[in-house]
Amino acid sequence: MNFDPLNAVLIGVILLLAVGFYGLLITRNLIKIVLVLQVLVKAVVIALVLAGKDSGNLGLGQSIAATVIVADTIVAVVALALAVQVRIRVGTLDLSKISSLRG
Amino acid sequence: MTEYLYYLLLGLGAAFCAYRAMISKHLLPSTLYLACVSALASITLYLLGAQEVAVIELSVGAGLVTVLLVYVLSVVGDDNLDPTSIIPKPLAFVLVATITILVAWMAFPLVTSPSTTPEVTLAQVLWKHRALDVWVQVALIFSGVMGVLGLLSEKEHKIEIQKESIPVAAELKKESHV
Amino acid sequence: MTAILIGFVIGVPWLGALILWRTSDENPRLQHTLAAAFSIAAGFFSLALIFFSSAETAVDIPMGAFFGSLTFTPDGLAVALTAIACVIGSLAVVFSVDYMKGEAQLSRYYTFVLLFIGAMAGLVLSGSLLFMFFFWEITALCSYALISFYNDDPKAVAGGIKALIITQVGGVGLLAGALITYSTLGTYQISALLENAGTIPANLLAFVAFGFLIAAAAKSAQFPFHTWLPDAMEAPTPISALIHAATMVNAGVYLLARFYPAFEQVPGWALSVTVVGLVSALITAFMALTATDLKRALAYSTVSQLGYMVYAIGVGGFFASQFHLLSHAVFKALLFLAAGAVIHAAGTRDMRRMGALGKQMPFVRNVFVLGALALAGLPILNGFWSKELILEVGLADGPIWAYVGMLLGAGMTAFYTLRMTWLVFFGEARESLHVHDAGSAMKTSLGLLAVGTLSTWLLAGPFIGLFHATLPFHSIHELSTLELVEEIFSAPATYIALTVVCLGLGIFWFFRKQAAAGKEARFDILSRESFGFDWLNRQVTSITFKVATVLQETQTGKLNWNVVGILGALLVVLVFLLWSA
Repeated sequence: MNFDPLNAVLIGVILLLAVGFYGLLITRNLIKIVLVLQVLVKAVVIALVLAGKDSGNLGLGQSIAATVIVADTIVAVVALALAVQVRIRVGTLDLSKISSLRG
Repeated sequence: MTEYLYYLLLGLGAAFCAYRAMISKHLLPSTLYLACVSALASITLYLLGAQEVAVIELSVGAGLVTVLLVYVLSVVGDDNLDPTSIIPKPLAFVLVATITILVAWMAFPLVTSPSTTPEVTLAQVLWKHRALDVWVQVALIFSGVMGVLGLLSEKEHKIEIQKESIPVAAELKKESHV
Repeated sequence: MTAILIGFVIGVPWLGALILWRTSDENPRLQHTLAAAFSIAAGFFSLALIFFSSAETAVDIPMGAFFGSLTFTPDGLAVALTAIACVIGSLAVVFSVDYMKGEAQLSRYYTFVLLFIGAMAGLVLSGSLLFMFFFWEITALCSYALISFYNDDPKAVAGGIKALIITQVGGVGLLAGALITYSTLGTYQISALLENAGTIPANLLAFVAFGFLIAAAAKSAQFPFHTWLPDAMEAPTPISALIHAATMVNAGVYLLARFYPAFEQVPGWALSVTVVGLVSALITAFMALTATDLKRALAYSTVSQLGYMVYAIGVGGFFASQFHLLSHAVFKALLFLAAGAVIHAAGTRDMRRMGALGKQMPFVRNVFVLGALALAGLPILNGFWSKELILEVGLADGPIWAYVGMLLGAGMTAFYTLRMTWLVFFGEARESLHVHDAGSAMKTSLGLLAVGTLSTWLLAGPFIGLFHATLPFHSIHELSTLELVEEIFSAPATYIALTVVCLGLGIFWFFRKQAAAGKEARFDILSRESFGFDWLNRQVTSITFKVATVLQETQTGKLNWNVVGILGALLVVLVFLLWSA
């Protein structure tokens, strides 16, 4: 077993990803979905910086990670605004009721 | 070796907090757990050597997103109990477990390949090599602000959660009480 | 210069389609004028292109390694069919000015007609198999859209869907052939296929050959795919004339003719082509004997004549088949447009309700009789020369049983043609319908086509010369028109055929009083159901719809199930990566 410390970070990343995917499958609340997406993005950010460190190009890794954080925060903001509107107009945040885009 | 242990603890802690965030029945504890995840991730990033991104992550994740979520919860109300999921839990578990095992199999062990390009600092990369990224981020922020303004523009009237606003909502409420 | 002309021939109708799409339906005069202008311009450009015909590739635009090059080759076969498509297209559009007067949604109509004309030109001019398939699909789309033009009529919509499903099944054959060619020869170019057909392994070449045969049979409504064309008669009549008589159904015959030199070496292919042509010709001639709907009878007749063309290719008469294609396009378009004038005036398509309309519509009666005589194959008219040529080649090079069948078909053609003419224009009026003669736009188109029926056979000599000069792979010997005339008049096959035709005409004349009898005999029901093939088509359509309904269950609209789909795909990708590593 390779005790290079970067492997430990990798374990953490994979666990976070697993939790995030599981959450996407299980959740029925619109706001919790936003929360779970945030978890996934944190995993990605750590993975990006890890890749940068591993290949020696930390500056590039950090730059891309920063871009990802910005993009994802915007997504979270707009998604939350949408969730507020859904709650006002449809009256519920339950995902199984907001499924008219089907067939 | 101690570094390995630190990273391991941080990783496990973050995963645990994320799990608690996902599981909990009320949204406010979930938000707090998410802030914990953010903090632990930020420490990991700092230890890896990416100080700037660590700061960004902490302020955005534990600061901005948490405040945003709390604000939205105050508007929307935290009364939604989380019912059981549509997807049978065993299926979800098997799916995620298989993916995790496969990814772990493919990713381990991490091979450090020395890079051929000379080491550049973040400042150089951000403003020179990937300057386009910065423009994209500006555009994104702009469009995000526009989107939110458009979505929440009815702030002139007091936003009341109309529980019986439309017949559809009434019917849905009836269903959810079953 | 040639490249520019080709660009115009395809581009002008497509530009017209784009412009007409944006014109408002509040201004029908503008729409009629624009459509007529664009299609007539395309007609002139296509005629000009004939003079620039050559065997070399005129346009060659590389489209990247994946798609090969977009090439256009204006050889004799291509420019002839382009001219037919564009000229008859313009005449059909001019006819539509009168026929579609007062109809709604004209922009949709004219857009698709112009799109079709451009796509048909592109199909025959194309030098690359992949882009030929691309144009093929566009013509299928336009055909479907125009058949279902009256989209509040369920029969029209059903007819359109039936046509679409059957021709698309055929299209699969074309695509498969193109892909096999690409994988063995490394290129999509048609000239490469014609040159190197011998280097493809025999079983793969057989796949390509039969795949193309299926595509051609489906598109040209040959047996066993003959059921969609009669139902496609729900389209407005100018469309029936243009797409389902003169141009799109010729695409199948074009395919067989173009690739004949490559596929004749495949054992059994030529015989299959002959049999397909023979059976189609006979079965649909039978069905036309008792049809009561005027357009349906003409549709059966179209399939039957296409059977003649396919038969000709099967026995090796390349020029005979293309000559008959030219004659048939002209006289069948004439017949359809004249029928359209009758239907427009009388308000019905049922021949049993018509009768003695000739007194009230003399012009239409005259041109219809002219077209009918050409269809039956009477001397001097263009149908006679081309049909005799086919029968002569069939007697000389083909199996004798096939020749006898085609001869029988010629007799039946004469019978049902006279029956159609008699029931509509002569005899006694069974219902007192008040009809008026055709309008001026209709008369223009009909008149020009009638002139064509009398005269296109004179072009035989230059036609052969064009083919000889520009088609290096098809071995064609040159003849002049005069030599052709002599050859036909000196062949015994001609006189045998003429006897059979007169026999057919005579038998009908004998029975003409019973022609309009009322009750549908069992034979009529059998022929209406296309001898059982219609049932097969209905099954295919219903199975397709049932599968679609079942598959709709997977679109639940719930996010969690969508995520299951995403993660499932991720799982598949990971497994794939692991396996190949």
